Amino acid sequence: MIRMEAVERLAGILDKRNVEWEIYWEEGKSASFRIERERIERAQWKFYSGMGLRVGLNGRVGFSYVTGLDHDEKSLFELVKRAEKLARIGSRPFRGFPTREKFPRVRGLYDKSIDDLDFDEAHSLAGEFVERMREMKGERGEYTLAGAMSFGTVRAGIVNSNGIEGEEPRTGLAIWAYAVKKNGRSGSGYASQSYTTLEGVHEGEELIRRAMNEADSSQRAEKIEGFSGEVLLEPQVVEALVYLFLENLYGDSVYYSRSRFSVGDLGKSVLSENVSIIDDPTLGFSPGSYSFDGEGVPGRRKVLISRGELRSFLLDHTYGKLLGLDSTGNALRDFRSIPRIGTGNVLVGRGSENLGEWSGVVVSKVFGEHTANPVTGDFSLTVELGYVVENGEVTPFSGNMVSGNVFEALGSVSRVGKELERRGSFYSPRIVTEVRLV
Amino acid sequence: MEDNLFEIAERTADKLGVGYFEIRISKAKTTSVLIQNDQLDELSNNVEMGIGVRAFKKGWGFSSANDLSKAEEVIKTAMKMAGLSRGPEKIYLGDPVRDSVSILGEKRLDDVDISEKLEVTGKAAELLRGENVKNRIASYGESIIETLYLNSLGSEIRTVTSRVRLRIASTAFEGGKTGEYWKSFGGTGGWELIERIELERWADFVSRKARELLRAKAPPSGKFEVIMDPELTGVFIHEAVGHAAEADAVKNGESIFAGRLGEKIGAEELNVVDDPTLPGKFGSYAYDDEGLPGKRVEIIKNGVLNEYLNDRETSTLLNLIPNGHGRAQSYAHQPLVRMSNTFVEAGTWEPEEIFEEVKYGLYMIGDKGGEVDVATGTFTFGAKEGYIVENGELKVHLRDVSLSGNLVEVLRSIKAIGRDVKIHFPGYCGKGQWVPVDDGGPHVLTEALVGGR
Repeated sequence: MIRMEAVERLAGILDKRNVEWEIYWEEGKSASFRIERERIERAQWKFYSGMGLRVGLNGRVGFSYVTGLDHDEKSLFELVKRAEKLARIGSRPFRGFPTREKFPRVRGLYDKSIDDLDFDEAHSLAGEFVERMREMKGERGEYTLAGAMSFGTVRAGIVNSNGIEGEEPRTGLAIWAYAVKKNGRSGSGYASQSYTTLEGVHEGEELIRRAMNEADSSQRAEKIEGFSGEVLLEPQVVEALVYLFLENLYGDSVYYSRSRFSVGDLGKSVLSENVSIIDDPTLGFSPGSYSFDGEGVPGRRKVLISRGELRSFLLDHTYGKLLGLDSTGNALRDFRSIPRIGTGNVLVGRGSENLGEWSGVVVSKVFGEHTANPVTGDFSLTVELGYVVENGEVTPFSGNMVSGNVFEALGSVSRVGKELERRGSFYSPRIVTEVRLV
Repeated sequence: MEDNLFEIAERTADKLGVGYFEIRISKAKTTSVLIQNDQLDELSNNVEMGIGVRAFKKGWGFSSANDLSKAEEVIKTAMKMAGLSRGPEKIYLGDPVRDSVSILGEKRLDDVDISEKLEVTGKAAELLRGENVKNRIASYGESIIETLYLNSLGSEIRTVTSRVRLRIASTAFEGGKTGEYWKSFGGTGGWELIERIELERWADFVSRKARELLRAKAPPSGKFEVIMDPELTGVFIHEAVGHAAEADAVKNGESIFAGRLGEKIGAEELNVVDDPTLPGKFGSYAYDDEGLPGKRVEIIKNGVLNEYLNDRETSTLLNLIPNGHGRAQSYAHQPLVRMSNTFVEAGTWEPEEIFEEVKYGLYMIGDKGGEVDVATGTFTFGAKEGYIVENGELKVHLRDVSLSGNLVEVLRSIKAIGRDVKIHFPGYCGKGQWVPVDDGGPHVLTEALVGGR
């Protein structure tokens, strides 16, 4: 195997130098089919591979990478020199590399049937998806449908001077559908999902249906009168708020005081007791899963918020050490980048309520979350789609802004639904809380 | 190697009946430095090479690899995939172009040692120090990209482009409140772009603003007269007008501008331009990633929708003159219709006159990101700060202000356009791929929905 040859050769060079080191490598391929107006317009197939090297020298660290896995001694030596130079002139915080621990066995990270697809087979799967679009559109010329289907496989590996060694293949499938409805006013709808196995292709039809239904609603949606009070938030909106909140739990944010919280806040009540948030990269068959992170630390389930109480931050090795804590196995990366703190699968704990009977305002989709301020928590998001449910009658609305403060909104959650919806690597029930609609 | 690859490509194209192909081989040298408080958070210096091949038969096929030993496989894969796609029947071909363009500025970035870049970034972070400023960030990024573009028509374009950007940001904390402010500098060129920055002045400005925002108030909500500063005008015009004018969105019937060329969509005085030929701007380029020269496009002329941004595919499909706006993030990405430097042209108003026009309204300053649904024209943007304007005077300072509305309504409501055009807000635009862009304009008075809490 060329791959291991290059990694071993690089490790051989590094072993002779008086440095700590870590090699993170990847070899992958991805195929994607882009659909516009119910036709596959663009098909692509990409190959990529490379090695990222971190070198620790006199308490400092340097990083550099090379693309490709087929390198001679000279090019590998230059890589080492670059990383060493950066370690010498830089003073990036460095507390060594992690040491070896046992990796959990995570089910469903890899599906051989995705890895084995050749492009004719991949194309025919995308072709079936387009066929569904054409059938569902039928004679209804007012709809224009677009979408994409992508397949990917990557083998990721890590080796460091502390004896960590890991390698695992991971596969992915992503599908999205977008519907525009024109007939007087225009409306649009979007649905997407990601998977780790080929089984996901069977959900294509459902995604098209959801996009078309949403386009129908969006076409009829008008702005409604503003008010302050309880609303039902659907998982996409909960996702926007939860990720905004989670930025406060990233170890680097905590360390650099970009977070509302500090280590002393662990154990304190910070959100509503109806809210629990878990990060779990060990879930089977889930797109956010891994058995080891970008530094070779085992993926592990951790409760971040338990019934409103702050239990854990999201940490990598460096910021864990800087805060006097252990890594939570949340270093994410590719070979081109140094590890950065991120999430695996995020789960919002389910409640016991049947919110199917909810009467009042439902906010389904929002956008503009990157205009929000994670530290103050203030947000002001545009409602892409919502519903007013009154006496069993459902009227869509859009164009209002929903504003509030994320700590208050997640702090005043009064009811939590009992069904979890998965959106990629985010799992959430519907929740009821107080916001302001402008 | 190039000749050999080109021959392989021609042979494969013949065999598979591929009518058009293009090969991009590029070498990118990048350096980045990120300093947070006094801590170096990122320092990188990398070289990356790769090949991307796009082929057209009755649709597009694309393949790429960052390992040139896979070049032959990439060529064959792209061409085979082109045979499987069903897209447009035709694309614009035009004449072959042979050219060599180098934009490296006055002082080449690779002649400056990385330790100097580290020093300047460190100094910037140091200069941000100030009362209540608890978080300071300075980040430096540069790229020198050499690309060889070849296509089946016989084009051979060699370009070397260097871009550089420095961003400074401060966050002030006091009594549980925070204030954030930042500013970016940069363009297409060399180290001189960094040397010309008045670091002391701007670092002081950014930290002072962050501090002042601690005392700023939440904005009122509702519909108001709004004066946008040049930076917010830039992001508004980029997000709301620019994206809707991209011909791929038009082609797919997704843009509210579809089928509306020649229609009056804004105030008489409104002229919106996208111009990749502006010298030294972050979004500037000589040739796009489809080997076509970048041209100045008058998107809105005297309030009338005049022209879309297009590429080889959409120009033919919509029967437009090609204007060279097919851009890709890298060799590993397919070109898409993208903006370059997008701005509102100067109007006739002095900025003071615009303020005098407002009895009660809001002055909104700076870009804090935004989004637009091009199908409906609904948009939302954040501003870095704002002020209540009463009888032409700035009153209460505001924070966490955002603006939303419908694009067409806001364009129609434009009441005044200033003379004071500024285009120096370098940033990256995302559309599944990131490309460097710039935007700007003068002060503009319009009406929009303001949200706050």
